[in-house]
Amino acid sequence: MTQHFRNAEKVHPAATLYATEEKAGKLDRREFLTRATALGVTAPAAYGLLGLSSPAKAEAHATSGGTLRMQMETKALKDPRLFDWSEMGNFARGWLEYLVEYNGDGSLRGMLLESWEANEDATEFTLNVRPGVTWNNGDAFTAEDVARNITGWCDSSVEGNSMAARMSSLIDADTGMAREGAITVVDDLTVKLTLNAPDITVIVGMADYPASIVHSSYAGGDPSVNPIGTGPYLPTQNDVGVKQILVKNTDHTWWGTEVYGGPYLDSIEYIDYGTDPSAFLAAAESGEIDATYQTTGDFVDIFDAIGFNKTEAITSATLAIRFNQLQEPFDNVEVRRAMQLAVDNSVILELGYNGLGTTAENHHVCPIHPEYAELAPLVVDPDGAAAAIAEAGHADTEFELISIDDAWQAASCDAVAAQIRDAGINIKRTVLPGSTFWNDWTKYPFSATEWNMRPLGVQVLALAYKSGVAWNETAFANAEFDALLARAMSIENAEARSEVMAEIETIMQNEGVLIQPYWRSLYRHTAAGVMGADMHPTFEHHHYKWWIEA
Amino acid sequence: MLRFLASRILTMILTALCLTFIVFFLTNLGPNLEKVAKSELGARITDAEVESWLTRNGYMQPVVLRYGEWLGVVPGFTHEADDGAVTGRCIDAETPAEVAPTFCGVLQGDWGYSTVFRRDVSEIVARGLGLTGKLMFWVMLVMVPGALLIGVLAGMREGSRTDRTLSTLSIVTTATPEYVSGVVFITVFASSAVGLKWLNGSATSAMDDITFANFTLPVLTIALYGMGYIARMTRASMTEVMTAQYIRTARLKGVSFPNIVMKHALRNALIAPFTVIMLQFPWLLNGVVIVETLFNYKGFGWTLVEAAGNNDIELLLGVSVVSVLVVLITQLISDIGYVYLNPRIRIS
Repeated sequence: MTQHFRNAEKVHPAATLYATEEKAGKLDRREFLTRATALGVTAPAAYGLLGLSSPAKAEAHATSGGTLRMQMETKALKDPRLFDWSEMGNFARGWLEYLVEYNGDGSLRGMLLESWEANEDATEFTLNVRPGVTWNNGDAFTAEDVARNITGWCDSSVEGNSMAARMSSLIDADTGMAREGAITVVDDLTVKLTLNAPDITVIVGMADYPASIVHSSYAGGDPSVNPIGTGPYLPTQNDVGVKQILVKNTDHTWWGTEVYGGPYLDSIEYIDYGTDPSAFLAAAESGEIDATYQTTGDFVDIFDAIGFNKTEAITSATLAIRFNQLQEPFDNVEVRRAMQLAVDNSVILELGYNGLGTTAENHHVCPIHPEYAELAPLVVDPDGAAAAIAEAGHADTEFELISIDDAWQAASCDAVAAQIRDAGINIKRTVLPGSTFWNDWTKYPFSATEWNMRPLGVQVLALAYKSGVAWNETAFANAEFDALLARAMSIENAEARSEVMAEIETIMQNEGVLIQPYWRSLYRHTAAGVMGADMHPTFEHHHYKWWIEA
Repeated sequence: MLRFLASRILTMILTALCLTFIVFFLTNLGPNLEKVAKSELGARITDAEVESWLTRNGYMQPVVLRYGEWLGVVPGFTHEADDGAVTGRCIDAETPAEVAPTFCGVLQGDWGYSTVFRRDVSEIVARGLGLTGKLMFWVMLVMVPGALLIGVLAGMREGSRTDRTLSTLSIVTTATPEYVSGVVFITVFASSAVGLKWLNGSATSAMDDITFANFTLPVLTIALYGMGYIARMTRASMTEVMTAQYIRTARLKGVSFPNIVMKHALRNALIAPFTVIMLQFPWLLNGVVIVETLFNYKGFGWTLVEAAGNNDIELLLGVSVVSVLVVLITQLISDIGYVYLNPRIRIS
């Protein structure tokens, strides 16, 4: 593995601090890796700070060739900035690459960026573009391309552009566009970002799936129509709801071959089997697929039993059973709190997800996040819940809990509804097919949404609960929360940040924003001989690492 | 004959018109349109934005007018924005406003655009029909000869042990709906639960390459359901023929039993099943919806489910038109075929 140790010579002082924290046991190793690499320290150097050597790579004996068929919902592509599904990013990932890559061990490594450095207080980032990268049409990949893409992400006038929330420290609040002087092209291979406040999440945000790097000729719409990108594969078939195929691009020299190795597979087929896991099972037993996209609930054991290999990713992925605060009767905080009171999260974990995870505390910050602060345990009080509902004047109201029609999300919601019903509150369950559910997911009064993990605790809060952001499905708008969150985003030290987080988490609980029963582990099953296609905590498919044993 | 054909075709057109208008009306109800706007622009748009999008794209016109546009008898909707840019029904990236035709509906061969699959409706419907055609071909190949054989065997000696066994079998298969038999078949023949694993429980790979393993279960699931019904009809018709005077005469003349069945009874006994078989086509469309969804075979039935689930207006209309045509054309064939089988019937 070739790595450039430019950064290692000048390790960011905060990274050294993190290393001390890690050794003192205040920071766990994966969080240390995420945070240190986010500041521009390379993974081997970060391991070095801990006195460890980087884990050896298993790909030395990888064999080339073959086709891997994976079950995945094949969704229609759109402008990458508007991607709202990991699946879209994963298909496009074949030819559209990212600046940085988040790895299963919690570290970040450079893809189209060779390295990056942060200044002392994380308000200035220098991005070093990887030399020798070309687009598959022959154009050279330069700092201009990086700057143009980042500028595009900052355009918050584009309806549904979730990258704007991730790049908020580069955006001028008045114009909704990139701030003058925020993105500077220093030379052909260097871009400098100047933030308006310290923001430790900028680089991490560039690894998220809507952050695909597109060519200057790209003008919106489906990127597979004219697939100019830097990646090693090309889309040859894109049938929404049926099948998507990536084939190795033999006319293009991929930069990564000499840096990270691969790509090994000749082609990758994504086949759509809808949302029903029993269809995935039938496909696996019929030999139609080599890997699942994700295995959930009961099916984890069943897939084990039919001889597929299990890979696991421990994550802060979760199910947010949230209230929309604009909709009656959930505009009343007492109603929301009462609903939370009626539900015992550990029971939901057991019934809804077979206990394959850990219980959560209704504030969407996970113990594996570095800034997590432990609060007093949640109280479960069904009688109190019924009394509060009656007091709010909803004793006879029939509530409705909406979920998507799939195994574990529906089961979890059933369990939640059952507990609410046991408390003596009227509630009915509505299960919508996946195709209709997502049309209105931010609008339902009371429904469940699957949230993937983000490496830092502040990220998901900024993405989902900050006032007015694109994915704020709770309609939660709390000035105090916003202010505290902004403060947390600027605090480098994990311990100091967790003090602010304690306040944030308390607000989340007191405002009754959501019932968040558990953090789940993610599983993928692969057929014998499939290598490197391990489950990734944020569902990323790193195609170039995949291979099939000959 | 020509008059008969003309009246049949007229009925067909009228039925298609009525049906598509009903589908059009239902898919264009207010809340459904709002859903369309939101799936195009994103879920978080305001009601004002929904309204402006619907106005800009011509959804706010009266339903009858819009139905006319879809048909291609009313000029396609156009909208001039404040900056002078003209958009409209017949205008897209490849055909700018200057060259765009005035009419673009079904009559002009423009079936519209599927919002779910991001393709032309005609392309999606053709793909679905192709796949379902293959499925139907194999279903017919299994079902028709199988059913006739069972029916004739059961009907040639009414009340015999063969008759009772085969009749029971037929009733059982007909009484079992596809969504039950399909699941049972998958469990028994395709899953590790029973352990036989002879066949595939998913027909997705059959879309590219049909094999015995991946296509048997879906074909069998549909075929068995229809087979029992046709067999019962054939048996009834056969028993009736076998009691006819001329059969008795033949027996008294000393003609051998196999000869009586093959040469004298069979042709007369097949008239009734012929109609039933043709009537099965529309019924099979029913089964196709269930079986294709169950086995993940992305044909016509599956397309219908996806279109309905996503309120994909133009795709749903396309699917309805094709369904009407399939039903009425098979009826037409059955009426004409009847004449050839039974010379006593004259069309006029």
